[in-house]
Amino acid sequence: MAISVVMPALEMAQETGKLLAWRKKEGQATVKGEPLLEIETDKAVVEVEAAADGILAGVKSREGDVVAVGAVIAWILQPGEGLPAEALAAAVAAPSARASSAAVSAAAVSAEPTKVSGGGGDAGPKISPKARRLAKEHGVDISLLRATGPDGNISTEDVQAYIAGGGAAAGTQTGIAPEGGANALKASGETLSAIARIMAERTTQSWRSVPHFFVTREIDASGLLELRKSGGAGQASINDVLVGLVARALQKHPRLNASWTGDGIRENAEVNISVAMAVDDGVVAAVIRNANKLPLAEIAVERRELTERARAGKLRLADISGGTFTVSNLGMFEVDAFTAIITPPQAAILAVGKIVERVVVSEGQMAIRPMITVTLSSDHRVVDGARAAQFLNTLATAMVKPASWIL
Amino acid sequence: MPESTTKTASATRELTFAQAVNEALAEEMRRDKRVCILGEDVAEAGTPFKVLSGLVQEFGVERVIDTPISEAGFTGVGVGAAMTGMRPVVDIMFGDFLTLTMDQMVNQAAKVHYMSGGKWKVPMVLRTTLGASRRSAAQHSQSLHAWFSHVPGLKVVMPSTPWDAKGLLKSAIRDENPVVFFEDKMMYKLKGPVPAEEYTIPFGVADVKREGEDITLVATSSMVQVALEAAELLEAVGISAEVIDPRTMWPLDEKALIESAKKTSRVMVIDEGYERYGVTAEIASVIAEGAFFDLEAPVKRLGAMHVPIPFSPPLEDVTVPTGPGVFAAAKKLCGKS
Repeated sequence: MAISVVMPALEMAQETGKLLAWRKKEGQATVKGEPLLEIETDKAVVEVEAAADGILAGVKSREGDVVAVGAVIAWILQPGEGLPAEALAAAVAAPSARASSAAVSAAAVSAEPTKVSGGGGDAGPKISPKARRLAKEHGVDISLLRATGPDGNISTEDVQAYIAGGGAAAGTQTGIAPEGGANALKASGETLSAIARIMAERTTQSWRSVPHFFVTREIDASGLLELRKSGGAGQASINDVLVGLVARALQKHPRLNASWTGDGIRENAEVNISVAMAVDDGVVAAVIRNANKLPLAEIAVERRELTERARAGKLRLADISGGTFTVSNLGMFEVDAFTAIITPPQAAILAVGKIVERVVVSEGQMAIRPMITVTLSSDHRVVDGARAAQFLNTLATAMVKPASWIL
Repeated sequence: MPESTTKTASATRELTFAQAVNEALAEEMRRDKRVCILGEDVAEAGTPFKVLSGLVQEFGVERVIDTPISEAGFTGVGVGAAMTGMRPVVDIMFGDFLTLTMDQMVNQAAKVHYMSGGKWKVPMVLRTTLGASRRSAAQHSQSLHAWFSHVPGLKVVMPSTPWDAKGLLKSAIRDENPVVFFEDKMMYKLKGPVPAEEYTIPFGVADVKREGEDITLVATSSMVQVALEAAELLEAVGISAEVIDPRTMWPLDEKALIESAKKTSRVMVIDEGYERYGVTAEIASVIAEGAFFDLEAPVKRLGAMHVPIPFSPPLEDVTVPTGPGVFAAAKKLCGKS
């Protein structure tokens, strides 16, 4: 049976994806699980794997095309099979509404546990047909727009204001410029890479829509250092240990591993830790799945592989999707403490500073201890102060005696 | 024959709407001996609205014919006269009485050309009135032009100014098909420029009565005057309104309406007929289909309330669109309430 290849989506607000490259040519054989094409999604440049063995046919989108999420861009046929009759109609029927994109992407991207429901419907401001068209033409993510029109809806003026404010200037560029080549600069002046633009959009959206609050705790890091010193951690870094401990602590505090769905809270079944990684143009978050169940050594291996792929710009769709909680560590940059912005639909992110020796008072005695400061940013729709504190308490207990938790 | 589609030509004189209609009839009767007038009180009385004053004196009782009170009958006479070579202008005093003419107009006049395989034609004009606020009560105040606009084979004309009334009526009389010509009885005393020279206005060409940027007011007949009043009020609050008059319900200048909608992104359609199932619905639909992706808001309709037009003046005045009412609705549509 002919299988359609559709432009996938990772995010509710994603309306289009850019086709960067076909890994197979029309008429070539595809192998299920092997890279079929490379797209630029909301988050990064990713590879999309072929969904089936077969022959690539009916390729509709060329490299560089920006395609509506859910649109059929090609077909995988069985030998001797012709293009299906709906091949044309399917492309025309590409959904533009957010709710339907979500449904299509859920079908296109397997195992997407953090998909937020209820993106469409009556929630949020409506947008006029003209404003929607203008936003689409300029590549503006409508979820980032301020609604100042009649009845609190998004008007064309809101889109124009966003564009005038530079918001869409990057969105309208046609060339992404990872290598800094001819496409690096447009005549209009500075340009942004895809990752930088996505980072700008996502953080703006989160900061505007998610009610953040912050809880900070200083924790004795002696146990972490001893674990490494004793060789108990093997090749794992302090950060790997932290990922493992956070994942295990989350298991005891499911509300921190949850999502705001628009009208309620959903606790996520899996504990998938997104690890923020600095790359040239910004930050990407690669996901270590089921980190609560993985032995430390496996976490370390996976994190290293993800880091390498991220630096090479070769992250796959599966590498960046499905995170339920993020750990961001700036310790290597000599930062004592900081607050981080949540990545919706996740409900929390842990910001980790460097380990530094401090004078602490314990049982009436001054002592010099290696201390680490962690700051938890939480979505107050999902998590309250007491829950955040209880989670940090569990995490602190685990960090003080990591071996008993992770080995 | 020069055609004047807009009022760009300089007109040095002003006529009332009634004088413009009268002049069109007189000129066409002089031009073509087949043109005659049939109706109640059209001759000596010159109709209750005095629109036809002087015509019987110039053209005689054989061409300006008083009929009994028998709308179905003399409309049928008009259809037959047109089929057999005349160019009758049938006068139905109040548009409310059109109910009596429906079989002649809908089943005969509109269909004869088609049913005869093109062998017969019905070049007649049915002139009638519409419009409320004359304190004439429920049976003398209706605007029933939507009924005729609904029927294939009829052309429906609704002038809003003396200039348009004259040019469009001359085109109606010269048309080879049945034309229903609606005059708002409240506009007969409205004065406006009318060229002294010969001109006609073609059907199916809308006219922008006022240019604007922020909202389009599509208006018909006397509602054009209402819309122009609203546009003045809107200008005072910083909203630039475009007023466009389709002038003929059929043929309808869809392109011009859609273009104006695309330009301003917001549209109100104002018509004195009943709002429900009225011409506002058709025009709004045409615009929604043609300009959907350029619209900022749903197309808003304003017509007569779904009630019999009351005799009580205060009640009558709230049943039909007014300048301040259009102003308020337009302001809301623009997000400035």
